[in-house]
Amino acid sequence: MELLALLIVLLISLGGGLLLQWWPNRRQPMATYPQRAPFLGGGWPDTHAWSRYHLRYYPMTLLLIAFEMEMMFMYPWAVVYVEQGMKAVMEMGMFLAILCVGILYGWREGVFKWQ
Amino acid sequence: MAVSWLSRLAARGPATVFPALGMQGEEAFYQLALHPEIELVDSPRHASLLLVAGGVPPELHEPLRRVHDQLPAPFTTLWYQSEPLLELQQAGVVRVDSLEALPDALVDAHRKVLRGELGVSPRLLVDEPPNPWRGLGDDGHGGEGMMGGVPYGRPMAMPPTQDLRDGLALDTLTFRLGPFFPLWPAGLEAEVILQGDIVQQFSVQSRPFPRAMSPVFFDAWEHAMSIARLERARVQYHLRALFHALHLAGLPDLAWRALRLAEACDRQTITALEKGFKDFERCLKRRGFFALHLPTCGTLNTEHAEALGGFAARAAGIEGDARRDDEGYRRLGFSAISQQAGDTQSRWRQRLAEVAQSLTLAARAQQNDAVTATTGVVETPRGVWRDERPGDASALLEKLLPGLEWGEALATIASLDVAGVSQWARP
Repeated sequence: MELLALLIVLLISLGGGLLLQWWPNRRQPMATYPQRAPFLGGGWPDTHAWSRYHLRYYPMTLLLIAFEMEMMFMYPWAVVYVEQGMKAVMEMGMFLAILCVGILYGWREGVFKWQ
Repeated sequence: MAVSWLSRLAARGPATVFPALGMQGEEAFYQLALHPEIELVDSPRHASLLLVAGGVPPELHEPLRRVHDQLPAPFTTLWYQSEPLLELQQAGVVRVDSLEALPDALVDAHRKVLRGELGVSPRLLVDEPPNPWRGLGDDGHGGEGMMGGVPYGRPMAMPPTQDLRDGLALDTLTFRLGPFFPLWPAGLEAEVILQGDIVQQFSVQSRPFPRAMSPVFFDAWEHAMSIARLERARVQYHLRALFHALHLAGLPDLAWRALRLAEACDRQTITALEKGFKDFERCLKRRGFFALHLPTCGTLNTEHAEALGGFAARAAGIEGDARRDDEGYRRLGFSAISQQAGDTQSRWRQRLAEVAQSLTLAARAQQNDAVTATTGVVETPRGVWRDERPGDASALLEKLLPGLEWGEALATIASLDVAGVSQWARP
């Protein structure tokens, strides 16, 4: 029953959204191909826009993930640390050592230099 | 209900106009930019009217057709001191030759076209895909995987050269920009190759239209001329250029203030202009125009600076100014100002310093009714005019812009005056 209600709500909201988009433009002609071309002040592009580009913040993102993963495991680790004692410290030490390789790699790639 | 309530509502708003500037079209542009019922937009997609201001040479008719067809329906065109395209002459387009009648004609056309009372402009180009879908390859892009093939008939951007920044070679993007691109001089058309946001190559395809100067510079070349009037015209020229740079920097309120000040140059007292300019300069500094919006790049070497002349040369440390040799200016205590760096930032510092100096000179000249003493040579805001008027220098952009980021390149173009001086004075 709940699933049916959910489905009805979903259909109504989807239908409403589509209607809102369609209603004001129902008499508008479809944009022509020259109109859809990128505006270049009268110029035109030679190549396809599907080109590879460099995400300049990419190394920074990798570093964030490295630190974030570390913290994600350190919270539950802190809970069991008192029970497990030295064993937990060593396990976490190994994990951090592996993560540090990533941080060292990031360092080599110039992550810490803000350009 | 042919006209929706949205269209009726839009008809009551300001007329959204995309100006395609031809030769001698700038005057109309500046007049319309300050009109309260007209909004000049930077993209035809935001406009309900296409204004072709000034003559467009036949070789630029095809780019004009492309811009025309990029306006969303319903729209119409107005031709100010320009001959309509042949295809549109039968469509009953509005042609206006008087600058006074132009704003009202635009507002009227905007209202009528949105209310459905005026015939809309027909599409000029064939409605077919420039490169039809071929359905080849994994994603229909014409090749295998992400690479290769000819997607939609256009080749994939592949790196032919090394990246100029950090050695990471990326795909290059080649396109032609202009001649109706609103963020650089009218008429300039260039083929640009970008790698990421770095300009890899910039080649000028057509030169910017020559700019019409105030008639006072033409008069000063022929006979003795009031220095106060000359300096007022100089201030107006630089402030109008500043309007474009501020607009490009995303500071529209300051841009309009610069333009209002420029348009007041003819009628306001010198004291009021000096006060207005000092306040405005303080505001520019406070808003970080120099520190945040002007890059310290686009440095001219001595050869380029000498070729360009005028304020650009003085900003690069070359102290050439024809006013130093004029007895009339010497009596007013004129001495040339200069900067050393020669980059985008120092060019604007130079221009603003010259505006302040021109206002001081105009105030002194007005007290003494000072006139120029030499003829056959005049220092225009674009450079010295001796035997020949300052000519086009757009070719230097090909050497200056590669290696700059796209935003820096546009700011550099805005800081330079590469268009030559027209043989016709401004009306």
